[in-house]
Amino acid sequence: MNFWEYLGSHHRQLLTDAGQHASAVLGCMVVATVLGVLLGLATWRSAWAARLATTAGPSILAVPPLAVLGLLIPVVGLGVAPTVIALTLYGLPPVVRHAIVGLRAVDPSPVDAARVIGMTRPARVGLPLAWPSILTGIRGSTRMLMGVTAIAACASGPGLGKEIFRGLGSPDSENALNEVLAGTLGIVALTLLFDGAYVLLGRLTCVERAGLRAGRAPVEREGGGEGVRV
Amino acid sequence: MSVRGLEEREGFEGRDEDSGAGAAESPAVPSRPGPRVTWRKLTFLPAFLVAVLLATWLWFARADLDPVSAKALSNGRVSEALWQHVRLTVISTFLVLVVAIPLGFLLARRAFGGGPMARAAGLTGRAVPAIGLLALLVMWLGTGTKAALVGITACAVLPVLSHTVAGLRANDSPVAPGILAGVRTALVLNVGTATLATFGGGGGLGVLIATGITTRRMPVLILGSVLTMTLALLVDWLASVAELLSGPRGCQELDAKKSMQKRCCKGPFA
Repeated sequence: MNFWEYLGSHHRQLLTDAGQHASAVLGCMVVATVLGVLLGLATWRSAWAARLATTAGPSILAVPPLAVLGLLIPVVGLGVAPTVIALTLYGLPPVVRHAIVGLRAVDPSPVDAARVIGMTRPARVGLPLAWPSILTGIRGSTRMLMGVTAIAACASGPGLGKEIFRGLGSPDSENALNEVLAGTLGIVALTLLFDGAYVLLGRLTCVERAGLRAGRAPVEREGGGEGVRV
Repeated sequence: MSVRGLEEREGFEGRDEDSGAGAAESPAVPSRPGPRVTWRKLTFLPAFLVAVLLATWLWFARADLDPVSAKALSNGRVSEALWQHVRLTVISTFLVLVVAIPLGFLLARRAFGGGPMARAAGLTGRAVPAIGLLALLVMWLGTGTKAALVGITACAVLPVLSHTVAGLRANDSPVAPGILAGVRTALVLNVGTATLATFGGGGGLGVLIATGITTRRMPVLILGSVLTMTLALLVDWLASVAELLSGPRGCQELDAKKSMQKRCCKGPFA
C-alpha cells in the first residue's frame, strides 16, 4: 500500500506512539530542567563547582546514547526505565550549563538592589533574568531527546522509534518503507511542534533585556541549537 | 550517536565561552587562570578511561562466559567491530569535511546568513533523527557500509557547516581555527552516529551492543557499551587537546566574545 493508505489504516497506533514519544521527552525534560536549575543554583557562585558542572556535562553528552542504554539495561532492564533515565541524563547538562551562564551574566545591580531592599534570595531576581538562557538550553535539549527516544526503541523503549526499527528489521517487507517514513516524519513533526511551542513560550515569558548585560548568555544560531544529531 | 559535537555548536560552546566570556564578565565569581585547571582536568579523563578499560579487561579475563556470549566475543569479532567503527568514523569525517569546509568558506564570505527559508530548512533538517535518516537510506541503498557512511556523513554536514561558518566569521583572518573546529565537531559527532551503523548492516561497535540486547547477554552488552563509551570519550578528549594546542588562549577568548556578540543580535528565539 502507499504511504497515505498506510497512515490511514495505522493512524491510531501511530498517534499512540507519537503520544508516548512526546510524553517521554516532555516528562524527562521537566525533570531535567528542575534538577538542572537546582544544580545551577547550587553551583553558579563557586568557580570550581561551576566549571566542574559545565565540563562534566559535555563528557556525558559525548557518550553515544546506545552505549548509555547499554550500560543502563543490565541495571534496570529493558523498556521504559532505561529510556527515562537516559533521557534525563542527556537533558541535564545543557540546562545546567545555560542556567549557570545565565545566572552569571545577570547584571549584579538588580540583584544587589533586591538585597538592599530586603529580599534575601537573590536567586529570585536572578532566575527570571536567567530564564531566556535556560529556555535556550531546554529547546536544544528537547531536540536531542527526541532522537535519543527514537534510538531507545531498540531496547523496547516507547515512542515512534518502534516504527523505524520495525521497518529496519525487515527492510524487504511490503510496509518497511512506510513504517520508516511514518516513524521519521512523525518525529520531525513532533520536534518542530515542540520547537514552535518553545518559541511561543519564550515570547510570552521573557523579560526583554532588563538586567541582562550586553554580552549575555550564549545563544544559538539559526533558530534553535541542537544537542545531538540523533 | 554523539550528543557532544552538536551541543558545542549550540550554546554549549565548550570551555572557551565559559572561562572566557562568562568568567570575565562576572566579577562576583573570580576565576582562576584557565590553563592550570584545564591541564589537570584533561589528564583526569585518560586516567579514568585507562582504569575503566583495565577493570573491564580484568573482569573478562576471569569471567566464565556462557556459550552464546563466548561465541559473540570470539574470533576477533570485538576487534573487527572496533576497526569497523574507526573506519566508519574516519571516512565519514573526511567526507563531511570535503563537503562542509568549502561550503563553509563560501557562506562565510558572503553575508549570506540565509533568510527565513534557509533557516526553516536548517531547522527541519536538524529535526530529522539520525536513526530515521539512516533507516531511510537503508531503504534506498540497501543494507551495508554504503548506507551507513552516507547516513553518518549526512547527519554531520549541517552542524559542521554551521560551526565552520561561525568559526570563520569570528576570526576574520586565520583559517585554521575554523577548520579545526569543524574537524573536531565532525569527529565527535561521527564516532557517535557510527554506533547506529549496526542497524543498517554497517558494522561497528554498535554490533556488540545490539547483539547483547537481542541475545540478552549482559557481558556482550557491557563490553560493547564500555568500548563505545571509551572510544567516544577518547575522541572527544583528543579533540579538546587539539583545540587547546591549536591557539593561544587570548585569541580564543577574544573569538568567543566576538562570536557571542554576533549571535546575541538575533536573540535566543530568532
